[in-house]
Amino acid sequence: MAAAGSVRAALQVAEVLETVVSCCLGPEGRQVLCTKPTGEVLLSRDGGRLLKALHLEHPIARMMVACVSSHIRKTGDGAKTFIIFLCHLLRELHAITDKEKDSFFSENIQTHGRHWKNCCQWKFISQALLTFQTQILDYVMDHYLSRHFLSIFSSSTKERPLCRSSLEMLLGAYFCGRVGRNNHNFVSQLMCDYFFKCTACESGFEEVLELVDDCFVELKVGVTGLPVSDSRIIAGLVLPRDFSVYCPADGDIRIVIVIETIQPPFSTFGSEFILNSEAQFQTSQFWITERTKAIMKYLQKQNVKLLLSTVKQPDLVIYCAGLNGISVVECLSSEELSLIQRVTGLSPFVLPQASSQYELSNTAMVKFCKPFILRSKRYVHLGLISTCSFTPHCIVLCGPVQGLVEQHQDALHGAFKMLRQLFKDLDLNYVTQASDQNCTSSPLIYKNSRESNDLPEIVNGSIQRPYQDTVVKNKDELAKTQTYLKAYSNLVVPSVELETNILCSTPTVTLTATYQTDATLRCFSPNKARIMDDHEPFIESNSANSTTENTRREISYENLQVTKNARKGSILPVRDKSLEMCTSQSYCFSSVPAGCVLPVGGNFEILLHYYLLNYAKKCRQSEETMVSMIIANALLGVPKILYKSKKGNYSFPQIYIRALHALQTNQPMISNQTGLESVAGKYRLLTSVLQCLTNILTIDLVINIKRQPQEIYDQDSEEEL
Amino acid sequence: MSRLEAKKPSFCRSEPLTSERVRATLSVLKGIVTSCYGPAGRLKQLHNGLGGSVCTTSQSAALLANLPVTHPILKILTTSVQNHVSCFSDGGLFTAILCCNLVENVQRLGLTPTTVIKLNKQLLSLCTSYLKSEACGCRIPVNFSSTQILLCLVRSILTSKPACMLTTKEIDHISTLILRAFLLIIPENAQDHIILGKSIIVPLKRQRVIDSTVLPGILIEISEVQLMKILPIKKSDSFKVALFCVSLSGDLSDTGEGNVVVSYGVSLENAVLDQLLNLGRQLVSDHVDLVLCQKVIHPSLKQFLRTHHVIAVDRVGVAVMEPLSKVTATVCSLLLCNRNDTAWDELKLTCQTALHALQLTIKEPCVLLGGGCTETHLAAYIRHKTRSEPEGILRDDGCTQTELQLITEAFCSALESLAGSLEHDGGEVLTDGKYGHFWSVQADSPSVVNWPDVLSRCGCGLYSSQEELSWSFLRSARPPFVPQTCLPCEATDSAGNLTLDCFTAKLSGLQVAVETANLILDLSYVIEDKN
Repeated sequence: MAAAGSVRAALQVAEVLETVVSCCLGPEGRQVLCTKPTGEVLLSRDGGRLLKALHLEHPIARMMVACVSSHIRKTGDGAKTFIIFLCHLLRELHAITDKEKDSFFSENIQTHGRHWKNCCQWKFISQALLTFQTQILDYVMDHYLSRHFLSIFSSSTKERPLCRSSLEMLLGAYFCGRVGRNNHNFVSQLMCDYFFKCTACESGFEEVLELVDDCFVELKVGVTGLPVSDSRIIAGLVLPRDFSVYCPADGDIRIVIVIETIQPPFSTFGSEFILNSEAQFQTSQFWITERTKAIMKYLQKQNVKLLLSTVKQPDLVIYCAGLNGISVVECLSSEELSLIQRVTGLSPFVLPQASSQYELSNTAMVKFCKPFILRSKRYVHLGLISTCSFTPHCIVLCGPVQGLVEQHQDALHGAFKMLRQLFKDLDLNYVTQASDQNCTSSPLIYKNSRESNDLPEIVNGSIQRPYQDTVVKNKDELAKTQTYLKAYSNLVVPSVELETNILCSTPTVTLTATYQTDATLRCFSPNKARIMDDHEPFIESNSANSTTENTRREISYENLQVTKNARKGSILPVRDKSLEMCTSQSYCFSSVPAGCVLPVGGNFEILLHYYLLNYAKKCRQSEETMVSMIIANALLGVPKILYKSKKGNYSFPQIYIRALHALQTNQPMISNQTGLESVAGKYRLLTSVLQCLTNILTIDLVINIKRQPQEIYDQDSEEEL
Repeated sequence: MSRLEAKKPSFCRSEPLTSERVRATLSVLKGIVTSCYGPAGRLKQLHNGLGGSVCTTSQSAALLANLPVTHPILKILTTSVQNHVSCFSDGGLFTAILCCNLVENVQRLGLTPTTVIKLNKQLLSLCTSYLKSEACGCRIPVNFSSTQILLCLVRSILTSKPACMLTTKEIDHISTLILRAFLLIIPENAQDHIILGKSIIVPLKRQRVIDSTVLPGILIEISEVQLMKILPIKKSDSFKVALFCVSLSGDLSDTGEGNVVVSYGVSLENAVLDQLLNLGRQLVSDHVDLVLCQKVIHPSLKQFLRTHHVIAVDRVGVAVMEPLSKVTATVCSLLLCNRNDTAWDELKLTCQTALHALQLTIKEPCVLLGGGCTETHLAAYIRHKTRSEPEGILRDDGCTQTELQLITEAFCSALESLAGSLEHDGGEVLTDGKYGHFWSVQADSPSVVNWPDVLSRCGCGLYSSQEELSWSFLRSARPPFVPQTCLPCEATDSAGNLTLDCFTAKLSGLQVAVETANLILDLSYVIEDKN
């Protein structure tokens, strides 16, 4: 049984998921209780976890969940925003199809044919999305958004000192969305303390974050039955097991690690031990005993006080250790071993060494080693002396139920992932879009005309322009457009060609009239289709057409309130920037520097929305305009939900208008929220969502196979990338 | 390849608390735990239709461990109570009832979860800081130079577990034993860091409770025949003991990863046994009197030792090994008797609870007033505090005074109805207008009376009705008043027979109850994995 993989189906799925995740979004979000098949209960506000817990059956839903989880694995944040944003994008796209239906019906195409046509169209849009992601997004980020970025570092010198209060704001906002309302302040404070306690010197925090992210499971101890407020940080490393032998010792303690049994075995692998008499057996046993004693004696002589073993040691070893005043901890997991090795740089002790009279080289020192009791369970507490920039500390996480402890664990781990991403530079690559003064003057002309017009005309004008582009371009440069389209369908975007395309079309754009009615637009489309005898350009113009119609309604009501302010000052910032930037023609490499943040509460979304709309207005290619508009509008979905419960001055329309006004008059945006969020995280989220959407759009059929799965189960969507 | 079977989709429900079914199940659970609470609590008989013994109890630990709970919300509640109990032993029912009351009361208000959770948290921190402060009117510092308060604490715990089936005299006896057992495990020359010893509870079922006793040291079970042989102990001064944690059964140790080839006629078992007997000879020549082994001793070795008048006891078990291997003599055995198995189980659990409460009291040397007085006093304090200085509580929250008053009412009435659930026999519950303590009247008392005539002492026993205290019904509306803080010194000294609660357990129970209630109130979806 096959079903059409359509935007409608994807939208339905996304809407269901949206209702689930949007209840947990933001500081007002609530908890979701999940039960596991084993009967355990888990509390969560983590989008990724919730989506997994749903065990969705729908193939598109599963694909979405797979995309979300792969995003989460990398960034540790943004699962809920992912779904909400994806849903809004699909909604925008769906609106386009609804509009388009009329024109299709008039042409009397058969249903089946229409389906395939639809698919081609979606494929085309998905390619446009890809271009947006690779070209426009980076350009807009670098040219416009970057001026709003704040930094988590208190100064921009090479040492990059971390600003504690900024970090607190960043973490506060992060935990607001991840843990229960009554705990987020506490958990974020705990995390902040932990981070600063672990970071010995100012500069080494990248290394610390990497280590904590990799070894987080070993660095936390979960305790149930105690109030959350009993959670704390303790110096040193806590291993979740008891000593096999404990001999109290003072001062710095020398430790060794062993990865095999100290007592020599009777026979080694691949060998044969032939016993000819009982006496021989007794002698061999005697030798083994003596040898073990000798090794332990040697260790004692070398002043070793603690033996860490990855394997279970025989009773004799434990006994000898006790006699020689050596404490023993057995059965260390490989993760614990690697953590200890990373912190101390200690390599395992090789047995044959012991017989020699040389000094033991593979040792390290610990400040203390003692039993540690938490809720009547015994742990080994080691005061490791670190040789790297990480000062070992552990987090003891308490909570009344395991589910809550796990939630805090996940949130903390995610926060470390997020910080790790934050402190990396984010590369932006794009091709500069304009080449000469011609281009830069075009927005000016347009803006001037807009200034002199009345309000409704502005709306018309600004929206119809993109359509004009297509028409003119298609008329004049048929051949060009076709090669351009082919290039697209190969999924490799030849930027050079793209550029020439833009160059050629540029002059025509500025010349076209701004007043066109919808009626004339419709007339054009079928004509052109006939001329070209190829459905791809036809779809292109069609889709552009529908965006025009669709976005107009949305925009017009927004503009009604906004453009009044816009008239005066909107030209200035845009022109200045474009004059400066448009001088180069080639590839542009830039980056969002490490530690870039923006205030929370939809700031990033509103900013990008604003600049994308601006970009769309200047843009000369219809598909670029369309995609930019779709994304710009979809971006508002997140702040809309965030401010849903707010009233009056803090309601979404109010906030939105104030933000736009501030942007247009070149004033700083005022945020009533105290938190910060990572720009790189938001950027990565946006690209992941676009990638997911591209995946969804490129699927034309979903084939349902009713058979036992043959191979590895969860490969379904990742391979299609 | 059943592993690869596709998973069934989960079951997702929104706004779980609004459903009628959930409310009904919550109130059933509340009914069960409320009816068990206190000295007059009703017992529950739990029996599994598929077999196993019948359990008669009124303790949350036994009750919740056996109660099958299916709804996820109830599961959160019960696991949170069970986790509390496993940490503190005491205060499980307190936590469960308070949590149920809070959820029920707050839900009726229809405020947004954000407001509720914020304000609940504020009220909780008001409670905890008051209980921890010196000025607290329901906290008594423990003076370790006298056993009076500790004895009261143990007796209160025993009294509150009616399923132990003890008479007053038996309660006194067991309380003394528990306290003595506890004192025995405190090391004599304690420095700044005390490591408590271990008290082992030894079952002596179907005997009179009054026969229970406490002995210093460890009891090891031994057959009567063996006992008869050693009874005339030759030496009275010293007794040499050898303790083995390894097996003495003569099994071959691990031979490594390679092959071991044994030639014909060579018996490894004999070789090992030879070694064991050598060990036996060594023990005899060292004049060892008693050989204890955690695991099995080879019968030949046992026989050998017996012929040389050495007592050999094997299969001691890992539980006894730990105190045995401790050289310090801070181990004691509590020989506990009770009439039948279920009552014994209940009594054992109660003794453990009491011992744990004593341990916690050493760490935090104070106790709280029991018998419902802490709850009513706390409620009066919170009411007064939110009336007199609401600005301090509402600082930066964006909540209104009305919302605060509503939540305060819900919170305080949850505490008060918790105290009220101590009364099971249809009597009236009252509170006074001076200390804010809890008073109860028997059911058959005349309707219009002079209160001091029918009341004798308050719930905790600190105050008597001789004073004029302007009593009023707990469930009626009362004008808020300032409950008297700072206990008078003589009150704590002269306290003959107070009802007391463990401070740490109750404080943590209060926190866990409010945190769990907040969690439950914050739920917007329940996703059930049906696999």
